[in-house]
Amino acid sequence: MKGIPFLEGKYSPTLDLYPIECKEFNRIYWFYDNLREGRFTTTKCKACGKVSFPPRVICPECYSDDLEVVDLPTKGKVITIVEKWGGVPIQYKPPMIGAWIEFPDDSPVKHYFSLLYDCEKGQVQEGDEVELYVFDVSPHPIDKGRESIMKERVFFGFAPVKK
Amino acid sequence: MGNFNACVIAGGQCKWGVREASYVDLIQEAAKACVDDLPGLKPSNIDGLIFASTFVGRRSTQVNTAPVVAERVGLKPTSICTRVDVLCAGGSTGILLAQGLVESGMAEVVMVLGSEKLYTPERWQIQYDEMSAVDHEWDGPNGIGPPPVWFSVQAQEHMKTYGTTKEQLAAVSITNYKHGLMNPKGHFQKELTMKDIEEAPVIAAPLGLFDCCPLTDGAAAMVIAREDIAKDLTDRPLVYLRGGAQVSIHSAGANWPGKTMGDWPHLKLAAEKAYERSGLTPKDIDVAQTHDCFSISEIIEVEELGFCEKGEGGPFCEAGEITIGGKIPINTDGGLISSGHPFGATGIRMGTEIFKQLQGRAANQVEGAKFGLTHNLSGGNVEHTIVTYGLEPKK
Repeated sequence: MKGIPFLEGKYSPTLDLYPIECKEFNRIYWFYDNLREGRFTTTKCKACGKVSFPPRVICPECYSDDLEVVDLPTKGKVITIVEKWGGVPIQYKPPMIGAWIEFPDDSPVKHYFSLLYDCEKGQVQEGDEVELYVFDVSPHPIDKGRESIMKERVFFGFAPVKK
Repeated sequence: MGNFNACVIAGGQCKWGVREASYVDLIQEAAKACVDDLPGLKPSNIDGLIFASTFVGRRSTQVNTAPVVAERVGLKPTSICTRVDVLCAGGSTGILLAQGLVESGMAEVVMVLGSEKLYTPERWQIQYDEMSAVDHEWDGPNGIGPPPVWFSVQAQEHMKTYGTTKEQLAAVSITNYKHGLMNPKGHFQKELTMKDIEEAPVIAAPLGLFDCCPLTDGAAAMVIAREDIAKDLTDRPLVYLRGGAQVSIHSAGANWPGKTMGDWPHLKLAAEKAYERSGLTPKDIDVAQTHDCFSISEIIEVEELGFCEKGEGGPFCEAGEITIGGKIPINTDGGLISSGHPFGATGIRMGTEIFKQLQGRAANQVEGAKFGLTHNLSGGNVEHTIVTYGLEPKK
């Protein structure tokens, strides 16, 4: 099989940071498809109304599997910011910058911790607005019969709002 | 099935640190230290094994671990032979499970053995492995995996909300290093000064190098026996397991339960449950081992465990209330910060220290200690585990 990162000197599959996002291996593949369209989405239970994040295949409140997709805010406010200088995993360059983000009052998800991308040291201050940031990650091969095909992947974080 | 009492009768650990040894070497050293702790105790007295380890599957490429461990340490289990994986709380979880098995009559004498071999030829891998010890699909890729990131936010929020200072964080590290001077099997035996702390590299502000526990190779073991069998095996005071609790949330990044990150209501709930089940209150606890993975952790833990008022953890620790002679001596063998933190073994080291404290044979002895408590947090602070110990059983 071609494209296995470990066999091409990249990293071991067990050390892969990101989920396998394709339909063949993940029932919430639509979340990642929506990311590609700039949407930050999750699941809402049609039976009891509970909005859950991360998205699910059952409602954690009432165990109904009758769920619908709803949009979450793509902008939030930085409450606390952190820069990590030591012990940074090799895929990242120090500092790793992350933030505890608060979403607007009407958001079903109140807070989220995210890495900040496209962001220099000292660029973001507490109270600043950040927005959803979607980026490509290494595609991953999957078996398809006797062949292997590459599946593209994306992931998300947040980034300073461009002024 | 019965309704028995469960007692700790032996405990021990191997030398912790960066070890030139494999995980099966470490578990043998720890099992020997544990059995040697009680003259006359033999592997053949033990009918059950609970092995606690999280990274053995990734770092040592061994899954289905318990039968291998049993064979290496000469046990022939007939009641239970299994592995638990609760990261930093694996050892304490094993102790709670052993208590339940012994009290129910399912087992008679159980060894709880924990081990991690974190330093392997490619030592950088552990930084990646930690991404999988939190919610791998959500929290890991978003940076919660390396613990200092997450605990820096918690420290900053506690400072903003309650006025906690860097000097108060330092007081925790200095105290625990001081306690660790008397623990030759811990990772470090070093007197830590404020100058050391001020000159140390920043890991994730406000946390510097000495605010963080090290990554450590190590193993520890404890033997828990049914009360009547314990009386046959030991002449020392019996140390009873009185009950505990484990409270878990999911996805720390999106579902943090506190008003701020400096509030840990899931620990408060675990403490309430543990006190209720053990028939104890915070004032009854004479000595405790709490999960000082970072200096800020111990400050928040003394608050949520009820040893001081919420928001007073910083001044409480700085005033010396956590050392011998203080209101509640904590981490009396050095804690994670000085002794190190081989995840699955940590709760067993803590339990063994409480066991020795209550029997009056600890290195930093709390005089007259009758009741003790251990606490672990695990997996990006999504879970809290508490075990209580006493010189008398719960009535």
